[in-house]
Amino acid sequence: MTELIVQNVHKYLGGLHILKGASFTASRGSIVSLLGASGSGKTTLLRCVAGLEQPENGVIKIGGKAVLDGEKRMTVAPENRNIGLVFQSYALWPHRTVAENVAYGLRLRGVNKADTEKRVLDTLGNIGLGHLAERYPDQLSGGQQQRVAICRALVYQPKVLLMDEPLSNLDAKLREEARYWIRKLVLDLEICAVLVTHDQAEALAASDNILLLRDGAVAQEGAPQEIYDRPKSFFAADFLGANNVASGRISRNASGTRIQGDGWSLDGVVLGEGEDGDGKAVIRVEQVAVHGQPGPGRIEMRLEACLFLGDRWEYRLAWGAFRAKAFGTRPLASGQVWAEIPRQSVWLFPEAA
Amino acid sequence: MPAETASVSANAVSSHPTQGVATRPATTMPLPGNARAFRVTVISLLGLCVLAPILLIFYQSFLDGPFFTPASKLSLEAYRYILTDAMFYDALWNTVIMAAGMVIIAVPLGAGLAFLLTRTDVRFRKTLEVVVLVPMFISAIVLAFGYTVSVGPSGFITMLSRHIFGAAPWTLYSLTGIVIVTGLAHVPHVYLYVAAAMRNLPSDLEEAARSVGAPIWRVFLDVTMPMVLPALIFATALNLLVGFEMFGVPYVLGDPSGIVVLTTYVYKLTTLFGVPTYQLMAVVVVLLVLLTLPLVWYQRRLLRHGRRYAALGGKGPRTQVMRLGRTGQIIALSFVGLWLLVSVMLPIGGIVLRAFVDAWGQGVNPLEHLTVKHFGNLIEVPSLFRGIVNTVILSVVGGAAAVAIYLVIGLAGHRNQGFSNTLLDYMVLLPRAMPSLIVGLAFFWLFLFVPLLVPLRATLISLFAAYVIVGLSYGLRLLQGTLIQIGPDLEEAARTTGASIGQTWRDVVIPIVRPGLVGAWALIMIVFLRDYATGIYLMSAGTEVIGSLMVAQLQSGAMDTIAALAFVSILLTGVGLGLAFRLGAKIHD
Repeated sequence: MTELIVQNVHKYLGGLHILKGASFTASRGSIVSLLGASGSGKTTLLRCVAGLEQPENGVIKIGGKAVLDGEKRMTVAPENRNIGLVFQSYALWPHRTVAENVAYGLRLRGVNKADTEKRVLDTLGNIGLGHLAERYPDQLSGGQQQRVAICRALVYQPKVLLMDEPLSNLDAKLREEARYWIRKLVLDLEICAVLVTHDQAEALAASDNILLLRDGAVAQEGAPQEIYDRPKSFFAADFLGANNVASGRISRNASGTRIQGDGWSLDGVVLGEGEDGDGKAVIRVEQVAVHGQPGPGRIEMRLEACLFLGDRWEYRLAWGAFRAKAFGTRPLASGQVWAEIPRQSVWLFPEAA
Repeated sequence: MPAETASVSANAVSSHPTQGVATRPATTMPLPGNARAFRVTVISLLGLCVLAPILLIFYQSFLDGPFFTPASKLSLEAYRYILTDAMFYDALWNTVIMAAGMVIIAVPLGAGLAFLLTRTDVRFRKTLEVVVLVPMFISAIVLAFGYTVSVGPSGFITMLSRHIFGAAPWTLYSLTGIVIVTGLAHVPHVYLYVAAAMRNLPSDLEEAARSVGAPIWRVFLDVTMPMVLPALIFATALNLLVGFEMFGVPYVLGDPSGIVVLTTYVYKLTTLFGVPTYQLMAVVVVLLVLLTLPLVWYQRRLLRHGRRYAALGGKGPRTQVMRLGRTGQIIALSFVGLWLLVSVMLPIGGIVLRAFVDAWGQGVNPLEHLTVKHFGNLIEVPSLFRGIVNTVILSVVGGAAAVAIYLVIGLAGHRNQGFSNTLLDYMVLLPRAMPSLIVGLAFFWLFLFVPLLVPLRATLISLFAAYVIVGLSYGLRLLQGTLIQIGPDLEEAARTTGASIGQTWRDVVIPIVRPGLVGAWALIMIVFLRDYATGIYLMSAGTEVIGSLMVAQLQSGAMDTIAALAFVSILLTGVGLGLAFRLGAKIHD
């Protein structure tokens, strides 16, 4: 069931056009991620949905009810949008205990005391924080604060849960646990969730749908696998994953497409749009296999260095002007090696004319 | 509609014209639920309260008689009179000398004091940091009176000097006397700003200078001073402003020998002709405001700059103090001690002694004539007793009410943008351009002739209203300082949880700033306690306060009573100050 519809939202700040017609939808029991570098407008878009920023144009509907309609000049205040927002800083009120923080949304909705207490303790209990109800926020660890912030935004069952970089203040290990935990919570409680993040691993692991934003516009939208495996533009290909990028000339003939550089050439598939000519190739690092012996389809390259990373080895390869990175499980001696790069993994993006 | 009208978010980034602007819709929708009506109402009401007195004075200055008599006509006669009056030019010149002289004394001393207390290991630092602020909290009239009784023509020290040396080679009742007294009294004002700036300086720059061989005084002149130049300029502007508006000291020390400054000139005009010469007073005020307004405007500019500067300071870098060494300690402590002796001990000691003796003079040991009978008057004379009670009520209750009002105004401007916010800024600063004597006068006129207000004139309400305007810019700066410390996230979290902006203020903002409010209350209390000028014109049976009573008693020369009143005033200020420190008030300005 679609709970959130965002259509063609435009936002200006001074002379800057910050959001250039972003659109997306989100439904219950799923997470939509707004992914982008800083300055891409992802947080602004989220704040527009929350009603904390006022877009100049566009339509936003929450739970079937319009909360913003640029044509009708209609807009609804944040408190009347029935949303929950989790802040990057958690924004727990320092003068209130954990229980009071969580209870506030219920109190504002006129829930009676007994019910409030029960629901607060239930929600806190669900995420294993029941014993901390009487503590103040500054007595909690970062991970606990983050969970309280999510509790506070969820307890009154809002139509949409918005999360602004909720994991960025946690350390790496905690972050991996938290993204699993948040995903499970959203699926179990059938919440409609929107997650803002700059961390692609977080977006790929936690979401059902990713919106890749660039300069206030949606560069690509799709399921995590789709967006990772079939990028539509050089930007999308390069933003996600660890990549080898090479510049060269793209040419087409009967047998297929090639990209050619100084002393090297590779067969590939064209993913971007455009004519033959100058362009770029993107090859995910994990798609390059390195062997000690020649074989069918293998290209002879020079191994310049071999670095130990703990769980694997990183190879630095050179072939004419072509430079590439690859991973393997064993150390290799510098010098002659053979690399295998599947044609389907060489993504070609002709430069726009 | 042209696209340009769209830029409602006025004070945003400097708007570079880009292609995006062309497609922009004509108007920006206002943020809903942002308490627009409340903000507009509060700012308009404030505008009315601030502008009404100013406009009334302005209007009055262009009449040939009091504004309330129907016979008064528009005329420039008052301007002609004032601008051809030799005494006006005398007063103007004296005012300029006084303000400039005050700056020349206060700025170097304040800067030196700030350097010693923030950048060196001078001893008794913790105590001194508090003690040096004392002159700031004492009413100027009390201070001036203190100098009169200690080093005036028949003061204790003067007598003692005559007794021992046969002469006392100083004249307190002179322009030089006034300049020195005001200059020394305003050292804390400079110290506060400069010390705040110095605390934010990283010490490695000074250490670098020392490592290449600069002695401490060279470090002070070549490294520290240039880096706190903005704070110094700000303190200079502030002191010039204070100098132009100073009334108590020139009145007490200048009146006996006929020295007038603009404020005392206005006061003299009241009684010059038997009938009220409101138009002449108004003209002087307009001319005075023309002098102070540019300073206020300049101060606002510096302040905005200063906020940026303070934000940069953030946590504050680790500072390492410089070691003075034995000789350095002696020189530094003598410097601080001498200043404290002259600007704190001399006047306060004088008052304390004067309040408890009834005879002194050459060859008379005052300590043999101790008495408490001066205090008897304070209890027996109803107006004096009322004055003390009123002062306490106005400071304690009025101070709390004023903080509540400032809080409402502060909230109206909190996270507000655009034109109304700029307007608010100016409304808050405007009263600064007027000496509190004049604010009191304007409110007196309002309460005399605005029908609804007339019954309130003889009540403390009239005085309270004037006090609120006098304390407006200081009080609001205190409150805005605390409000701005709340992270916007905390408020936004309340909004998205379902709280209206009013509920957000009630449940999140106010509880978080509560400690700051209590501190502000203590400081506003002291501001109201030490005030003496606002109540002069508003004084009637029922609206006496200690300060205005002292001014009135000076005319009749009842020194015993004044001494007792001054002593009570110091005592109350001491209590207030103790309370302020206990409540953790952050002192600035």
